[in-house]
Amino acid sequence: MAGKIVLCRCEDMTLADLEHSVARGYRDIEEVKRYTGFGTGPCQGKECLACVATELARLTGTPPAEIPPFTSRPPLSPTPIRLLAKDPAAHIFEDEKK
Amino acid sequence: MRVTVSHACHRRNDGTCYLISVARRLPGHEVLRGDAVEIRIADTTVRAYAHESIAAAALASGAHVLSRSLKYHRPRTFFCLEGHCSGCLVRIDGVPNLRACQAPCASGTEASGQNAFPSAEVDLLGAVDFLFSRGMDHHTLMTGSSVLNKIANKVVRQLSGLGKLPKQAREEAPEVARHDVEVCVIGGGPAGLAAATTAARAGKRVLLLDDQLRPGGSLRADPRNGRALAEQRWQDAIDAGVTVLARATAIGYFPEDDGGVLAVAQPDRMCRVYSAAWIWATGGYPQNLPFPDNDRPGVIAARALGRLLVDHGIVGGEKVCIVESPALRAEMALLAAALEAAGAHVDRVPLASVTGTRGRGWVHAVDADRKIDCDLVAVAALPSPASEGARQQGCKVVLDPSAGGFKIVVDEQGRTNVPNAWACGDVCGYRGTRAAAEHGAHVGGEVARGG
Repeated sequence: MAGKIVLCRCEDMTLADLEHSVARGYRDIEEVKRYTGFGTGPCQGKECLACVATELARLTGTPPAEIPPFTSRPPLSPTPIRLLAKDPAAHIFEDEKK
Repeated sequence: MRVTVSHACHRRNDGTCYLISVARRLPGHEVLRGDAVEIRIADTTVRAYAHESIAAAALASGAHVLSRSLKYHRPRTFFCLEGHCSGCLVRIDGVPNLRACQAPCASGTEASGQNAFPSAEVDLLGAVDFLFSRGMDHHTLMTGSSVLNKIANKVVRQLSGLGKLPKQAREEAPEVARHDVEVCVIGGGPAGLAAATTAARAGKRVLLLDDQLRPGGSLRADPRNGRALAEQRWQDAIDAGVTVLARATAIGYFPEDDGGVLAVAQPDRMCRVYSAAWIWATGGYPQNLPFPDNDRPGVIAARALGRLLVDHGIVGGEKVCIVESPALRAEMALLAAALEAAGAHVDRVPLASVTGTRGRGWVHAVDADRKIDCDLVAVAALPSPASEGARQQGCKVVLDPSAGGFKIVVDEQGRTNVPNAWACGDVCGYRGTRAAAEHGAHVGGEVARGG
């Protein structure tokens, strides 16, 4: 293995990937997420968001408080879809059709 | 295709293998371990205990590499032991992508690795890591020719994804349960337990949600008698009248639905939770630190190492190297002393001096100002506030690296900017188990008084 500094282990995103992203002009946290895929794996950013945001602040010379988090979306944890099957909200479109 | 978890093996000079087991169960912890059971890990029958997670049993039996990473197929294994990282995803009794650290050991349970060919330890696809040793930009990979691009897409689609689907469908979907309460506390660590108990003693109808096998949170990794404190405060909460749901994970807050509903997943059903007041006490997630080869198997969170020792009576390694950020020096001195008392050798190095780690299947050394031989690396980084559920509710957060990450912004009473939402403990910035418990009790009292 080479000396990769891994920031997001779910998606194998490295510090070099972040630098590459910033160099190509993707400097916003949402842009970095879309370009590198960080934070889109099973942990949904639990292990990488703070670290990537902090490194992004350093690389772009932005004060940390000015860096927002990426949008948080459900489910916050991997969930078997069968658990949702009987929730009324899972059938809202079906009801609307009737 | 059968994929197996491999058991760590050291090769002798004559080429034969012998199993090594870096984690060691301490005597005198039989009661907390529960009854002995036999489970199957990677086609090998191993001894486990009823109160252990499959991850703890796997570590104590020498099963190491569990899966491979998505892109470079680097070996993956346990990191946080709290159900929050992606390190220990395995297939359990035919169901893929389950977290070994959140699965209890029942007799006859069968766990195996996933995402590798032919096995997690010897994965031919790991060649990707060497071929792209300086990294790979998938945006420009094989895009020169459209024919080549089509072939590349087909190959990538075959290789990517996590796990394989179960062979058969599960039984019918369960009904969705419902809870209506006055105060809902999300997170059963030191802050959440204290907040819930205080609010319940003041007469509120309180529901406490905790996503772990047993509530207690970071207390269960605190060498200062943390396990006993966790059990005591869990009991205190029940005695105060709190309804405690364990293995209950808040998976989303929907502000637009019925005036706000929290969706909670338990192992076999969903609940909708409605509450007049919400207290986010979700703590923080263990983090890795940025140093070269920080993702090798055997590099785990320091809190996971503490959890193994305090909660399971398992010494994670005999020669442990702790890579620490300066903010956690005092905590790591406590952990190192507890590990040494259990017979382990401990080296502590500051993050700034670390230039890499060595070892293919499992880490065996850290390169710092000198080479430090070890059989486990523990990373001590500030936990990152678990604020994403609160963010869905509209709570304001701010990135504060000295607090661990995106902390929830609260006033002195623990109020967020959302009128019926409060927060306490490490999710408002790292403070440690004792200060988190004090903060929780304070905020729980404020909520009971109606803010």
